[in-house]
Amino acid sequence: MFYSIRHITRYRYDAPVRESVMQLYMQPKSEGAQRLQSFQVSTNPRAGLQAYTDHFGNAVYHFDVPGTHQELQVEADAEVEVQAMPAPPEWVDASAWAVLETAAVKGEHFDMLVGHGIAQATPALRAFLDERALTKTSDPMTTLRRLNRAVFDGFDYAPEATEVDSSIDVALGKRKGVCQDFAHIMIATARAWGIPARYVSGYLFTKREAGDRSASDATHAWVEAFIPGCGWVGFDPTNNVLAGERHIRVAIGRDYSDVPPSRGVFKGPANSELAVAVRVTPAQVPRRRDDFLRVVRPMAKGALPPDMDAIDAQQQQ
Amino acid sequence: MDPAKTARPRPTIVSNRARPGVDKPFADYVLGKPWDEMFTADFTPRPHAAGLYDTLTTLAAEDLVRRQHACEQSFLHQGITFTVYGHTESTEKIIPTDLLPRIIPGAEWDKLERGLRQRIAALNLFLKDVYNDGKILNDGVVPRDLVYGSKHYLRQMRGVQVPLDAYVNVCGTDIIRCEDGALVVLEDNLRVPSGVSYMLANREVAKRAFPDLYRACGVRPIEQYAEELLTTLKELAVGFRDNPRIVLLTPGIFNSAYYEHAFLARQMGVDLVEGRDLLVHDNVVYMRTTSGVKRVDVIYRRIDDDFVDPLAFRHDSALGVAGLMNAYRAGNVVVANTMGTGVADDKAVYSYVPAIIKYYLGEEPLLGIVETYRCREPKALSFVLANLDSLVVKAVGESGGYGMLVGPHASIAEREAFAVKVKADPENYIAQPTIQLSTAPCFVGSGVEARHVDLRPYMLTGRQSRLVPGALTRVALKRGSLVVNSSQGGGSKDTWVVG
Repeated sequence: MFYSIRHITRYRYDAPVRESVMQLYMQPKSEGAQRLQSFQVSTNPRAGLQAYTDHFGNAVYHFDVPGTHQELQVEADAEVEVQAMPAPPEWVDASAWAVLETAAVKGEHFDMLVGHGIAQATPALRAFLDERALTKTSDPMTTLRRLNRAVFDGFDYAPEATEVDSSIDVALGKRKGVCQDFAHIMIATARAWGIPARYVSGYLFTKREAGDRSASDATHAWVEAFIPGCGWVGFDPTNNVLAGERHIRVAIGRDYSDVPPSRGVFKGPANSELAVAVRVTPAQVPRRRDDFLRVVRPMAKGALPPDMDAIDAQQQQ
Repeated sequence: MDPAKTARPRPTIVSNRARPGVDKPFADYVLGKPWDEMFTADFTPRPHAAGLYDTLTTLAAEDLVRRQHACEQSFLHQGITFTVYGHTESTEKIIPTDLLPRIIPGAEWDKLERGLRQRIAALNLFLKDVYNDGKILNDGVVPRDLVYGSKHYLRQMRGVQVPLDAYVNVCGTDIIRCEDGALVVLEDNLRVPSGVSYMLANREVAKRAFPDLYRACGVRPIEQYAEELLTTLKELAVGFRDNPRIVLLTPGIFNSAYYEHAFLARQMGVDLVEGRDLLVHDNVVYMRTTSGVKRVDVIYRRIDDDFVDPLAFRHDSALGVAGLMNAYRAGNVVVANTMGTGVADDKAVYSYVPAIIKYYLGEEPLLGIVETYRCREPKALSFVLANLDSLVVKAVGESGGYGMLVGPHASIAEREAFAVKVKADPENYIAQPTIQLSTAPCFVGSGVEARHVDLRPYMLTGRQSRLVPGALTRVALKRGSLVVNSSQGGGSKDTWVVG
């Protein structure tokens, strides 16, 4: 599938501010089943865009606006191809649990095994797991599939219920939340069970007929868990599916705070308002450049430019 | 050597020498189990301290009082103060200075210097490793969770190129002398060590108080410290312009060490700036001046890691410079010390430093450390909890004497309260036997008494390491007290490396 993604972010301030410095986790990844065809960011006021790759391998763009301004807008446009991949197995061998206990796995995935920030195993989380009788079962894949469904069944999708950086306890208390909350709850649980799990920030091409609950005009978040024999497998507890052709990966981190789509600081006594719009649309296969280009002046015959000998001769005048 | 100097007759002879514990000014001088910097166990002055001993016995008590008073006045006039947090009244205190220099023989100092150089070389290699390949963690020499789980381990520094691979550019190592006379490391301060201005100020005081003795002893000079710091900072600006602009970044006037920041900036002839004086534009750091913005190449920062950049680290920091980490990553500015060095001066990592030295340098450590029980290890934890009355227990991530329990001096209630904290979070604590810091003569009231001291030399590292032959000797001013931290009411004195 080809998608074109438009992601607009607007900050408004109720008084002039200056020296805004901002960083963006918005560039879709180009790895695995996903190919990034094009990516462009423009800002208003205009700013020089810089980029680097962070320690998780994510592309980070950043820029600054030194002068005074009362509005700051970022438009990111991406074209992405996501190929269909064979679905992961329904279950894996029970010996996968033992592999997860090895020093090699624990060492390599240290950061994705310990609680961090919002993704912490809290008493409220343990109560939820007890209530749903969720424990480690025969194998990690089956366990996570059950967990994925349990989070989907156990919570209502309600955008006003929580803030982006709310503790999972807020969602657990209300049994309501959005994709970030569900991802953090699943991550904290998986880690508590010894399964490396990471937060994925990205986009979803929403399909109501497929039973999606996610808002179609927002960024999305889900979970990837490391399952021996399968590698990283994407689980989307918001929609009770495994990540597939409709999930567009942008960044991975330990939790939301590692990879917010935009984060900035500014100077000046002002309150800020954040508005975001996201649109993911299926795109036609981009025309190959050769098809797109139209020859306007055919190859000229004769009148070749002077060759090197001729130049040497000319230099002698 | 001037023969007249070596043959200089002592003003005292054994028969009428002041007897410590009996005669003035040493009437109240008590020698205990700890090593004494001036006397051997039978009250004989050690050879390197004999000159000071002689001077003290010949001076009238009033003379000492007068000199001490002059010294305090001079500190106040120079504005050498230190803020003690947690006191409601005036927080600006002069750090109490003791007049009498602590004297270290040159040969012993040279040995200490070799040990420090080895230690800092290894710690810099360790930092480079844990922020890149993590070989030492893969090899199981240092537990991975100790490093990755440390709050001072900054993932933002992973894979970032550090000028000359010198992560720690200014290091203040706390050294103590054990009962057997050996100098051992108590703590590495690799983040933003302070106190060097007191080392320099104490020298001025001691020189003025004992001019003849100073000349006679052949004290090694330390006055070049600021110059060497400046040289070090310039060395780090590899590939920058010939005359890099260097600034000293302070948290501001309310910081406990603001005096020192201003002092060092003045000594080096660089600008003293606060975060709000700097800005980052297109990955370059600029300083606001009355004549427009000027590019900044090197920042000697005296702000903690967390506060350096609100975009990269603590988002509510009002002290730092937004985007500084981006400029640093891009190689457009040098920051000394580098961010993230705190992971190596963690009190739990401390116990692994001998192994770290062997791992990277293939050498035996030249400097010892204090025996350390890691509460993360169950056996050690139960030992610690059973022996709280004889141990010093410290929180792993804290510094400056905060969050620690000195078992023998704590009440039963204090020990019990601390045991609860340790049990709740054992990974966060280590314990050490109560070390009897060595004692040195200090002028107290009208006489000279023994007080516990430690030693903090300042190692500078750029293209090479530099150590001025001197240190801050911190003094526990209360009789019997072992706490020398200035934040906990300790004082300091000059340190003379002689010969």
